Amino acid sequence: MEAPPVTMMPVTGGTVNMMEYLLQGSVLDHSLESLIHRLRGLCDNMEPETFLDHEMVFLLKGQQASPFVLRARRSMDRAGAPWHLRYLGQPEMGDKNRHALVRNCVDIATSENLTDFLMEMGFRMDHEFVAKGHLFRKGIMKIMVYKIFRILVPGNTDSTEALSLSYLVELSVVAPGGQDMVSDDMRNFAEQLKPLVHLEKIDPKRLM
Amino acid sequence: MGVTCVSQMPVAEGKSVQQTVELLTRKLEMLGAEKQGTFCVDCETYHTAAATLGSQGRLSLAGQAGKLMYVMHNSEYPLSCFALFENGPCLIADTNFDVLMVKLKGFFQSAKASKIETRGTRYQYCDFLVKVGTVAMGPSARGISVEVEYGPCVVASDCWSLLLEFLQSFLGSHTPAAPAVFGNRHDGVYGPADTMVQYMELFNKIRKQQQVPVAGIR
Repeated sequence: MEAPPVTMMPVTGGTVNMMEYLLQGSVLDHSLESLIHRLRGLCDNMEPETFLDHEMVFLLKGQQASPFVLRARRSMDRAGAPWHLRYLGQPEMGDKNRHALVRNCVDIATSENLTDFLMEMGFRMDHEFVAKGHLFRKGIMKIMVYKIFRILVPGNTDSTEALSLSYLVELSVVAPGGQDMVSDDMRNFAEQLKPLVHLEKIDPKRLM
Repeated sequence: MGVTCVSQMPVAEGKSVQQTVELLTRKLEMLGAEKQGTFCVDCETYHTAAATLGSQGRLSLAGQAGKLMYVMHNSEYPLSCFALFENGPCLIADTNFDVLMVKLKGFFQSAKASKIETRGTRYQYCDFLVKVGTVAMGPSARGISVEVEYGPCVVASDCWSLLLEFLQSFLGSHTPAAPAVFGNRHDGVYGPADTMVQYMELFNKIRKQQQVPVAGIR
């Protein structure tokens, strides 16, 4: 079958570009309980929610210097939950005064054959890990306190090993772009968690 | 979704696409089917840019070069998006997948003038849902699609003979054979992805046809 002629014309979406606002920090294992206690007091009243997720990071190498990264995440403790595919863009280099890291984000719920489909598209898995922890909410803010586990045998999520003796703490909001109020609210909330944890804007490039 | 059969209805001799659609819908209404709104199934084709595979300055001749990916929508599932490869997996995702395809435009290019869609009326007749649509590429009508769903059953082998009988009652000699997707599932349970595969095959067949097919011998 011959392929139809190809053009460079892009197909335009029409939806609002959502951005993820992010602040990160960490606490040592022995400080976890006090942090959870404070979060339970500050956050919305709900049943304490824990999660156990398996995330795989896929790369698509192309002509461009930097490969396209997609994150596929599945719940290991909630049967029947859809898989979560996430695209995160480069952090917006803008206002140095902005309190949170801002980057373009696209979240898609998918069926279970996501990894097969990504491989068919040409993506290859770069790395994977297991995340286990707690989830809190305050309004539109999401607070996650979790531990990352390295997977010892690729594909086998039963044999894992903790990456460090600490928990990663993430405060994030997904909202339309340009809303500086969001990062102000996040900064104010982060103040309330001091000195248990210091949440800050961490530029991933500085870590490379 | 119940077991569904998607087929093409050739245009009646000496008549236009629209007239044939009207003939069919009149037959359905005489049977006693009730009109229930409209439907639309569309399909956009993407070409994996062959230059993305292999190293700089060398076009990869690996089997993956130039694969076609179809991104489809079905008005029956307005919040979903279906992405599939021919003879490959069919991914069911939410409509944000379209936004992702815009981000991926450097790696997947939309094939020129490839958007094809079928639009028409939905008819409910007891447990059958019948959709007769005009398949169009841009402004030109290229054919007629007929989709029949038997709601109560999800196992194809259990209800194919019943579906066939119903199809014969209004399609007559243009009744199709059992769709190939029926044999694909080892557990035999039919799902919306199977319907989208059938539409993809129908659209590909219609794309290849140079002109609107006519019933009878030419």
